[in-house]
Amino acid sequence: MSDTDPPVTESDGESTATDREGANGEGSAGEEVVVAESLHRSFGDLTVLSDVSFTAESGTVNCFVGPNGSGKTTLLRIVAGLLAPSGGRLDVAGAEGRAVGYLPQNPAFRAQFTLTETLAFYEDLADVEIDPVDVLARVGLDAVADRRVGDLSGGMTRLFGIAQATVGDPPVLVLDEPSSGLDPTMTEHVGTVIRDLAGQGHTVLLATHDLGTVDRVADTVLVLDDGVVQVADSPETLRRETESETLTHAVAQYLVGEAGGLTVRTGTRGDGENGESGEDTEHGVGDDE
Amino acid sequence: MSEAEPAGDTDADNAAGRASGEDDARPWNDRRVGQLLTVAQREFDTVVRTRTYAALAVVFGLVVVALPSLGGLAGYLPLVLDLLTTVEVLVPVLAFGFGTWTVLADAETGELAVIRTYPVERWTYVLGAYLGRAVGLLVAILAPLVVLGVATPVVREPATSVLASHGTVDSPTYFLRFVALTCVYGLVALALAMAVSSLARSRRSGVASVVVALLVVVLGFDLLVVLGVGQGFLGSGTLPLALAASPPAAFRGLVLETAAGGLVETGPPAANAAASVLGLGCWLVAGLAVATLRAWSPVGE
Repeated sequence: MSDTDPPVTESDGESTATDREGANGEGSAGEEVVVAESLHRSFGDLTVLSDVSFTAESGTVNCFVGPNGSGKTTLLRIVAGLLAPSGGRLDVAGAEGRAVGYLPQNPAFRAQFTLTETLAFYEDLADVEIDPVDVLARVGLDAVADRRVGDLSGGMTRLFGIAQATVGDPPVLVLDEPSSGLDPTMTEHVGTVIRDLAGQGHTVLLATHDLGTVDRVADTVLVLDDGVVQVADSPETLRRETESETLTHAVAQYLVGEAGGLTVRTGTRGDGENGESGEDTEHGVGDDE
Repeated sequence: MSEAEPAGDTDADNAAGRASGEDDARPWNDRRVGQLLTVAQREFDTVVRTRTYAALAVVFGLVVVALPSLGGLAGYLPLVLDLLTTVEVLVPVLAFGFGTWTVLADAETGELAVIRTYPVERWTYVLGAYLGRAVGLLVAILAPLVVLGVATPVVREPATSVLASHGTVDSPTYFLRFVALTCVYGLVALALAMAVSSLARSRRSGVASVVVALLVVVLGFDLLVVLGVGQGFLGSGTLPLALAASPPAAFRGLVLETAAGGLVETGPPAANAAASVLGLGCWLVAGLAVATLRAWSPVGE
């Protein structure tokens, strides 16, 4: 995945998946599955996305980061087909059946049903046949398959939301804050699950403020701010280009404008040299939009 | 997907940039019927597994059984007359209790957004939810009425003077008609509850909307008719039509015309039966149409 100004730039993702057979996609390794060109989205007078372009290849994890209100959730909802762009073009590679799996920012399911029953409901909606226990095993919840959703912890509900997103093996998975509010152990587990899903051929697009997870799972980091993708590259490249030790600091170099009441230093690659590092590293803690 | 391209049938189609195929273009196919039944089953199971609905049904049943029983069960026709006002008020309350937290619940928790990423259409989702809730509602309505219907011949007291003075013959047929009309009335009220469920955007606004909708449905239309008569806008020719436009008045009129024996034969017609049926049908269709249109806005539109 890359920012597309110039239009398409190859990601130098370092850990892309090798097994492309799992997802219901038609693409082979490295094929562009999601292509966004000049996406624009306004709500009344408020422009959230002004000119967003990127591509996402099969079997990669693509992480959108940026301050609150930068449009991450809006962008993911557009990719998930829940929101129409005001302008621009979005192509999601066609697939038989469900094309995009979606984990909302705050996943919730009917508390009265077991995990197996809930997956069976979505199985019927997708008009596919699945083994619910297999799907739950992807996220490590097979041991609680018969537990009621209402009895799950927040972290388990989020994992279950990820399992739900994979029903029908959609080629694209859109995950909004998959590790929000989770303890370190669960966060690490979610990261492993996401990498595994990419390894099975899914193209993962996720938005998060958890740059630790991003550093661990991302093939491409897309810094979204001021309505555009400021930069798109691998975590390693971003650190190297900004001469930063941490991804948090590297990302901060690309933020512009104001967010969350804090003025973010305008920066370009290399701005980290001026000794202002650290003060703006707390951006983006909290919900988006 | 491009805005210039033809939209698919569902948001999932739109996400994949697909236009609807020939099979999908048919309003009914195996996939849609399967999805509809799946949604219906989920809603019915939700009703069965939620204590609040059980409590609502029990309270409704106790009131419906207790009120006519207090005065003694003299026969089917007196039973219909005893139950008429009670049912007219309580069935909408029960229906709104059963129907309001359908679309609204899924929207509020965010699960509706998840559902939209599957290839399911609005009308499939709304109609399925309606059917599932309708089964639960009808069970709640029918249970106490069946109890009364079975108990009446067993504990029947001597015929009342009302029956004697109108020279009619008591018959379970009247009660069966009343039960059927009550079910129809309940289904109409449930459709209106579904509309409220789609229109409300939060639990708080849902509660407020339910209160307002119940007042309008149970009292508002009748008050308008009374006002119309008082102001001279409604005469003997237009009054039955105006009553038919009010769900409770249409239900009441149909009961008096078809399920109350010869009680009304000596006076003016209580209602225009055809207009009342049409009125109830229009409310049912309108309720489901609003619920469908407001459940969500397809991305392609």
